Amino acid sequence: MTEQVEVAVVGAGPGGLRAALAAAEAGAQVTLIDSNQSPGGQHFKQAAAEFRVRHPSRHQGEGQALRQEAMGAGVRFLPETVVWGAFEGNVLALHGSQAPAALQAQVIILATGAYDRPVAFPGWTLPGVMTAGGAQVLLKHQRILPGRRILLAGTGPLQVVLAAELVRAGADVVAVLEGARLFRESAPHVGALWGQWQRLGEGLSSRLTLFRRGVPFRPGWGIVAAHGADQVESVTIARLDSHWRPIPGSEKTLACDTLCVGYGFIPSSTLSRLLGAEQEWRPDLGGEVPVRDRHMQTSVPGVYAVGDGAGVGGGPLAQVEGEIAGIAAAARTGHGADGAEKAIRRLDPMLARERRFQRMYAALFTPGPGLYEWSRDDTILCRCEEVTQADVRRAVALGADSANEVKAITRCGMGDCQGRMCGQLVAHCIARETGRPVAEVGLFPPRPPIFPVPIVALGRQTVNGPAGGVAELARR
Amino acid sequence: MMRVGTPLEVERGQAVSIIVDGVPLPAYMGETIAGALLAAGRRAWRRTSHGQPRGVFCGIGLCFDCLVTVNGTPNVRACLTPVAAGMVVETGSKP
Repeated sequence: MTEQVEVAVVGAGPGGLRAALAAAEAGAQVTLIDSNQSPGGQHFKQAAAEFRVRHPSRHQGEGQALRQEAMGAGVRFLPETVVWGAFEGNVLALHGSQAPAALQAQVIILATGAYDRPVAFPGWTLPGVMTAGGAQVLLKHQRILPGRRILLAGTGPLQVVLAAELVRAGADVVAVLEGARLFRESAPHVGALWGQWQRLGEGLSSRLTLFRRGVPFRPGWGIVAAHGADQVESVTIARLDSHWRPIPGSEKTLACDTLCVGYGFIPSSTLSRLLGAEQEWRPDLGGEVPVRDRHMQTSVPGVYAVGDGAGVGGGPLAQVEGEIAGIAAAARTGHGADGAEKAIRRLDPMLARERRFQRMYAALFTPGPGLYEWSRDDTILCRCEEVTQADVRRAVALGADSANEVKAITRCGMGDCQGRMCGQLVAHCIARETGRPVAEVGLFPPRPPIFPVPIVALGRQTVNGPAGGVAELARR
Repeated sequence: MMRVGTPLEVERGQAVSIIVDGVPLPAYMGETIAGALLAAGRRAWRRTSHGQPRGVFCGIGLCFDCLVTVNGTPNVRACLTPVAAGMVVETGSKP
């Protein structure tokens, strides 16, 4: 059954929660959808509900408060609900035990977040190699360490924070490799740190923890290969040049059982693309993102996008963007239109401050082009279908010059993850082989279902009502 | 690969037992299957069609590398699925 709603918010992280709250406070009827059991997203990840944690982190406390506020404002939450497709006319196809088969919303706010950028290097599919985000969730949600001897490789302050959390929890952190060479590049950006006291405090206390425990922090270093039979046993690292290419002769091999990889984030912008929103290629924002106006509206009327899913910028920026979109969405559905513009303008200084931080972050921590050259011909690019770099190169040699054509020849991007892991890796490989810019090559065109769902979900419309299921949705 | 936190910091959910490939494995309510496997020192629990070992990679439900069969249902993400008393988990290759 397709249910009609005023405002549908997809994703209950900081951006989605704030958007839902702002729209509900203005009087709109809001449905908030998330694939997790409870709201918060990865940013506000709480300890498991069955656990009792004596001293929740500041993030967890903040998330708890925001979530209670949103629920208190009358937001309806659909937990464990997957949005597997989006169709013309603002229709979202859902799968979840408490969810209708589809929602048609007057306004959709996409707050789908971002995920750790996969980086292909020899050995990256070995168990024991995992994303920094995954390691953090394991620790925050379940208080379990991903390994005993842990090497962190990546870029940005988040991996320093993670390293400190791992050390405090008792792990032996071998080293933290930072791809960027910070000292030379950071001077022009010092001003953007003004007002970021919480972040500065967290960063300093993390660095202090690492310093006290003697954990080496190596700027300008990266991964060459992970080694091991059935799991990681050691990792070869090397000094990087300014393009992030390993400098021959600088290699060292470190023994460890876990490698946490965190080279920034990729925005989850699939739904906005499925809805027909114009996209642009912005390496500084993580990749492909929807073009938006100052109310966070995409090129499709009534479709808004906020937070990391519309361009990586962190939790506080996501909240400001969410609030703006929430106010604008409510106004669009006839609630609080009078004061809307004024309320949005009031957020300008906060938005400007967070955008300054976003620009600084991008300038310092956007990986160099060499990152996409860490793979070799026998390295897997598509983990699901086990397609190697050589397979992709062969397809290009056969004449394929778009991601879609390479996909048709090699099956890369056709697996369970629907190209989330390999999309940018394959695009960069094609770009390199054809000498064209990545922006022009682009990602795999998304096709519903964008998440694996039971076949029954696709037919629920037919089962529950007169409509014609997927065929009917696709015709719209 | 180990549970952390003193009783003063964290009190886990109720202790339960799940059955992994026929063998009981201790777990606590609130943990995911992947969490319980990692805490028991298991890193690789699936083989791809090319015979390569896989375990947890993304840890947030996006990469589908950590798939297991749960109570007969195949292709379940171990990193997202909470344990339950007596849950029957089968690891191994993707069916």
